Amino acid sequence: MAEADTTDAEPDGAAPIVQVRSVRVAFGGLLALRGIDLDVARGERLAILGPNGAGKTTLFNVIAGDIAPTGGTVAIKGVDCTRLPSRRRPRLGVARTYQKARTFEGLSVADNIYLALAGHRRRHRVPWRSAVDRRMRAEAERVAESVRLGDHRGTAAGALAHGQRRQLELGMALATEPEVLMLDEPASGLSRGEREHLVTLLEALPEAVTVLLIEHDMDVAFRIAGRVVVMADGETIAAGTPDQVRGDPRVHEIYLGSEGGT
Amino acid sequence: MRTGSTVNRRTAALLPLVAFLAALPSMAPAFFINFVMTQTLMLGLAAATIVFLAKYGGMVSLAQFLLFGVAGFMYGNAALEAGSRGLNLGWHPWAAVASALAVTTAAAFALGALASRTTGLYYLMLTLVYAVIGYFVFAQITEISGPSGITSIERPELLAAPVSLYYTALGLSVLAYIGFRALGRTAFGLALQGVRDDPVRMASLGFNVPLHRTLAFALGGFVAGLGGLVNVWWNGQIDPASIGIGPTLILLIIAVIGGVSHFEGAWLGAFVYVLMFTYLRDLPLIDRIGITEARFNTVIGAIVLLIMVLSPQGLAGIADRLRRRLPRPRRPGAERPAKTTGRLTRAELIDE
Repeated sequence: MAEADTTDAEPDGAAPIVQVRSVRVAFGGLLALRGIDLDVARGERLAILGPNGAGKTTLFNVIAGDIAPTGGTVAIKGVDCTRLPSRRRPRLGVARTYQKARTFEGLSVADNIYLALAGHRRRHRVPWRSAVDRRMRAEAERVAESVRLGDHRGTAAGALAHGQRRQLELGMALATEPEVLMLDEPASGLSRGEREHLVTLLEALPEAVTVLLIEHDMDVAFRIAGRVVVMADGETIAAGTPDQVRGDPRVHEIYLGSEGGT
Repeated sequence: MRTGSTVNRRTAALLPLVAFLAALPSMAPAFFINFVMTQTLMLGLAAATIVFLAKYGGMVSLAQFLLFGVAGFMYGNAALEAGSRGLNLGWHPWAAVASALAVTTAAAFALGALASRTTGLYYLMLTLVYAVIGYFVFAQITEISGPSGITSIERPELLAAPVSLYYTALGLSVLAYIGFRALGRTAFGLALQGVRDDPVRMASLGFNVPLHRTLAFALGGFVAGLGGLVNVWWNGQIDPASIGIGPTLILLIIAVIGGVSHFEGAWLGAFVYVLMFTYLRDLPLIDRIGITEARFNTVIGAIVLLIMVLSPQGLAGIADRLRRRLPRPRRPGAERPAKTTGRLTRAELIDE
């Protein structure tokens, strides 16, 4: 239907890289999203907060194309991709991680990252090994190092500890050098050291990379994000800088107050 | 490279076995070569395609024997010149070979595309439906299968000597074994394993999951077709009953007793099946304990169950366990450093 304008409409600097308009999602009788509007500027670091069931992950799924919205539109880089299947979105520079880490359990760490690279470079149907392949393998190993999995690059993803699988997922997303990086609770289940490393990694990303972050760890969220959107019951209830949001009484009542705020 | 050397080492380990098999015709009776071994190799080739799809793609296909048969029928139709059976196209034998493989691969591509959006049990059921429909297509459209099969099918002149068929089957089996294993380390093979583990994730990485499954199924069809050609040369005829549900299930049994997570298992399973099928009835006094010709399949069933009880991974699983157990007492310390470098894990990944 609406995937019309695939002509690369390179937006002028001010146009939002992700534009969500009146997005509604109904699961049977349950309205998971009740008309969300969201503009994310290129290079912005946006945290989405909200209690469980607020619709944060559903919003992610709509932006990443894993589910189609019941109503409303999603545009990425000015291209309407409301009905564009998820497999086409990486071409728009979108990479994501999942709330529950989704890795390929039977494959090694290096192979997982290699697949992310192969998918990104559209080399996944090559039935032989080539020089390009060897370069991608070397690159995968470097990415594994960068997410502190260098020592585990030959380990099957299914054998990794929870925190390591999160790191691996992050590595798979980073490997594709995304323009829009969507992270669904990347810090959950990480040790303090791993969390610090995560923040360092995200802070080191090039400025042009847009980061959308769902995070329960306020410390991580507020350190990374320049802007915070708070959701509850499928709606946006507050938005602003971390300080503004921290001071918002509604947010306090709904979220921060109940969770202690740190 | 490390991963490459693992594959190469396994391939090198294959050399003595291949050399032995190549020398076998000068040591063993002609019956053993031309009946037992040739049949083992061609059934193993077809069963290896089940292993390929199941191991890498997580797709258990019951349509492989149908594709095996399609190649046979197509060869018979194309190669025969006269007589009342089949289409009698009268093509050059090698043109017939090419066309049989092309038709089989195209059929596999179409069937694979239809099945590509299903997984697990539904894939199994859908491919069983393919096998049933395929049987009826050949049983009822006698223009392409002859009134009671296509008979008097001759092989290309190059393969006239009976032993050359054995060597053909051996060569194709070795190529398929090495090829399938090597494919597992390429972008295509790794992506197929990714599709097996998490298709949703693969899509979000930009992969066309249904197309990938379809291409794998087409490749499996092509290799099954190679086995089917050897089969039709070996039999000299093919009829619809020979690709019915019975043979379809026998191929599945071969893959299962061999072990669907090991390529070796395909040929091992075929060997055991053909051995049982050929020699069990000749054992002395076997009819005294109630095993008569009529009860033969029951006995095979019991043996299959016994193998499954001993090793759910099939015969290749037993072999694998023995292989891992043997060197251990000699080098007790060898395992630990290998694990930390990931070497053992990687090798296990490739093996299992």
